[in-house]
Amino acid sequence: MLLQLNNVFKWVNSGGQRIFLLKDINLGVEEGEFISVMGPSGSGKSTLLNVIGMLDGFDEGEYSFLYESVHKLKEKHRANLYKEYIGFVFQSYHLLDELTVQENLEMPLLYKKFKGSERKAMVADMLDRFNIVGKKDLFPAQLSGGQQQLVGVARALIANPKLILADEPTGNLNSSQSEEIMELFKQLNQEGVTIIQVTHSEQNAAYGSRIINLLDGRMI
Amino acid sequence: MMIKNFYKIAWRNLIKNKLSSFINIFGLTLGISVCIVILIFVHYESTFDAFHDKSEETFRVVQHNKLPNETLYWNTTAYPLAEALRNDFPQVDIVTQIAGPVSRVFKIEDSFKNENLFEEPSVLFVDNYYPKTFDVEWLAGDKDTALRETASVVLTEKLANRYFGLSTANYQNALGKTILLQSKDPLTVTGVIKSPKGNSDHQYNMLIPYEFFKINNPYFSANWSGNYQGTTYVVLNEASQKASFESKITNWKSKYLNPQDDKRISYHLQPLTEVHNETIYGASPGGYIMPKNILNIASVVALFIFIIALINFVNLVTAQSNARSKEVGVRKVMGGSRANLTLQFVFENAFIILFAAVLSIVVIQGFIQLLNNNLATINLQLEFEATHLLYILFAIISAVVLGAVYPAIILSGFKPIQALKNKFSSPTGTKINLRKSLVTFQFVMVQLFVIAAIILAFQMNHFKNSELGFHREAVVITESPDYEKSTVFREKLLANGGISKVSYGSGPPMAVNGFQLGTNYRLPEQSEEESMDTEMKIGDLHYLDFFNLELLAGRNFLSNKEAFDEFIVNETFLASFGWKPSDAIGKKIQINEGQATIVGVVKDFHNNSLQYEITPCILLNWTYYQNNAFIKMSDSNYTALNTIKSNWEETYTNAIYDFQFLDDGIAKQYMVENMIFTGFGIFSVLSILIGCLGLFGLMSFIVAQKRKEIGIRKVLGASILENISFFTKEYFYLVLLSFIIATPIVYYFMNLWLESFTYRIQPSFWMFLIGGLSTFLIAMVTCSFQSIKASRANPIIALREE
Repeated sequence: MLLQLNNVFKWVNSGGQRIFLLKDINLGVEEGEFISVMGPSGSGKSTLLNVIGMLDGFDEGEYSFLYESVHKLKEKHRANLYKEYIGFVFQSYHLLDELTVQENLEMPLLYKKFKGSERKAMVADMLDRFNIVGKKDLFPAQLSGGQQQLVGVARALIANPKLILADEPTGNLNSSQSEEIMELFKQLNQEGVTIIQVTHSEQNAAYGSRIINLLDGRMI
Repeated sequence: MMIKNFYKIAWRNLIKNKLSSFINIFGLTLGISVCIVILIFVHYESTFDAFHDKSEETFRVVQHNKLPNETLYWNTTAYPLAEALRNDFPQVDIVTQIAGPVSRVFKIEDSFKNENLFEEPSVLFVDNYYPKTFDVEWLAGDKDTALRETASVVLTEKLANRYFGLSTANYQNALGKTILLQSKDPLTVTGVIKSPKGNSDHQYNMLIPYEFFKINNPYFSANWSGNYQGTTYVVLNEASQKASFESKITNWKSKYLNPQDDKRISYHLQPLTEVHNETIYGASPGGYIMPKNILNIASVVALFIFIIALINFVNLVTAQSNARSKEVGVRKVMGGSRANLTLQFVFENAFIILFAAVLSIVVIQGFIQLLNNNLATINLQLEFEATHLLYILFAIISAVVLGAVYPAIILSGFKPIQALKNKFSSPTGTKINLRKSLVTFQFVMVQLFVIAAIILAFQMNHFKNSELGFHREAVVITESPDYEKSTVFREKLLANGGISKVSYGSGPPMAVNGFQLGTNYRLPEQSEEESMDTEMKIGDLHYLDFFNLELLAGRNFLSNKEAFDEFIVNETFLASFGWKPSDAIGKKIQINEGQATIVGVVKDFHNNSLQYEITPCILLNWTYYQNNAFIKMSDSNYTALNTIKSNWEETYTNAIYDFQFLDDGIAKQYMVENMIFTGFGIFSVLSILIGCLGLFGLMSFIVAQKRKEIGIRKVLGASILENISFFTKEYFYLVLLSFIIATPIVYYFMNLWLESFTYRIQPSFWMFLIGGLSTFLIAMVTCSFQSIKASRANPIIALREE
């Protein structure tokens, strides 16, 4: 078991009322799964992804990741955990505009204390694997949306995470670009990477091995 | 390498945000430069004469004269004091005395046997002990013997060049040459020295042995009483002996002083290093005083300007947070820790600060040049020295600590999810409030400067344009070196159309710039101990008419005499006896120089510059001391100036023509005040510039941040004006608030400053209002710039983004 959520609740208080963002979530994810989270806007998909990615906390329940109790960990340990095992892909790519493709890929490695030579090798490897060697010195603004997301995925993968969390990775892309990214995910999954993606599209969801439906913060 | 990465990003951000980078660097450079130039100036002015080897142990002997109505503080003592001290206190290391600097004319023969006249305004008479006390750098001649022979002279390199055309390589050639003092006394050049440094109160171009002065002024140099004074210095073995030496001379002085003087006069030692910053003893001839409190104010001003610039920096950097929030989010998600990000932002900010600091080194040099050129009258010689790099280092460190660390901590504290969504978790808006308070604080300081400058301007105007009680327009003063020729000169002048009146006397009614003479007065039946201090003026029969002085009682002089017998006094003089003008006529008065009868009383006029009160004044019908001619020109274009020159040169041969306008002489009395005024004028412009630069940058960020909001407002029907007021409203209140805070502070300090002047303006509310309003208008215009641009943009574009 890669991760396990038991009776997880998350809420905010607004105007004296408690509004639930996540309600009694019970979810186990095995290594090698490819899960698609679906649901209407505001159903809590992104919140769930953020909780799993440890970027956001929750108010009640238990969460264990690789048999560590995330809810009991200190901030620093939690950060170390996701730094090591989780890669993120965003709808709007979130590449740093001031950095070139190559530098964007290198950035997460800097925070993981890899040596310069190692970093260089890993970046070269990734550029090669995604076929973007020719674009390594370009800035994000010089790339198409699909190419930017390609870099986004490459950046998420560069430190060999066990889990990729993707929040509507194709939301800003056209259909052919979408397809390309989903094919990539499928291939990565076959290579053993666990993927959890949030999506609106039935078509994209179909790439996954399991679909989770959310409505008003509850799994249905 | 992390650092390399930081550097790369810092550089790219600098290039990317050209406007804010420019504002940041320009503002900070200006702030640092101005601050440090002021500090260099303050340091320069507070270390006058500190460069002498023995400066710590050197003291100036000052004299306190206790009179019945006041105590006078003199920076000079009787001439014989130095020798008496030297004889009676052999344990004292060195005693030296100087006279001057005075102006003298020299006749010098050039290599073609042509005789040329030179006027040298800065001739200092010094004894053989002078170079042992004060550092003098010798370029030629023997320092031990150069001043030994009476008829010798030591020239500065400047004069060696001017008189003999010599330069560094051949100063030796000057030795042995002869120059004629006042065309009659031959002096042999025995040395060439470097010109004195600017930060010394001894500004001279030529040294002549003191002995020469004594021989030519035998009466003065032997007289323990009266106003004929030299400046005396002692060098003690150790500075700590000051008190004991002071008490020794207190008991000793009765040996030389007459009983009255012994009771009245006390001698004190003033450390040489304090001479330049202490006001009560006044400036010595050729020097000036820079009061300590002015230097303190200047330091505070320097600090304020630095803070204003720093606040800009902090505000701009934090305002950029929005633009950087995505980066913070991404980096955090990718594993960047808060410490890591803090470090990155500190580095980035420090990079800008460093950039500005390096630039400021260049700017400072420029400013220093500018200052030196503009303040040549006080021989300002500021230099950028290696030690001043420490100031810059200190500025960098404080800028990094105050301006770089804080924004970095704020920025790195963003929560990743909110940061990615551009939603700020500004907990209850503290960040925004801090920015508001910083802007307010900044504008408090700006308004302090502006309002102070306005009040200063009015006080300066008061100094310049106040009714002085005498006529002063278009009056030229020239020397009248020969009394015998004064009638001839007068008649020559009056024969010309451009000149309406001529008079002779010791000095103009406001006897400034060394024209002032003083004496003691009493009734003949009073004892000498009861005598009081008064100004003494010598004027001819035309003096009252020339300066338009109004007689309240009695009459003008009937004639000038070699032994004066008539006095005309002012109203203030009468006050010391409680007389009415008519009472005074016919009264006999005893002064140091003799006795005479009061024949007239004139209405009070300002005989001192306006910082000071009107003091008692006696006008004498004496032929002695009528060494200045006052010439009134009748046309406002001063076309008669050439006539005066040619007539003068025709009348007085063997002398050099020089003249000054009475108005200019009076204006010089306000030199320090004028400097303060100019300083505040410049600083207020600079502070507004820096402050508004910051506001401009801030607005550009806020506007960028709120483009969407403007778009929505516009779609919903807001006019451009409404949109502008939406942005400027906040700053309207902040500037208003800063005005309310600044007003009482300025009021307090300006009153304190104005109180040091006897004749001063009353700061009135509208002066504050002008200051507040002008700052306000400039700030509002600055704010509106950016918001107008944003308000006019097509809302669809703004709304489509996101």
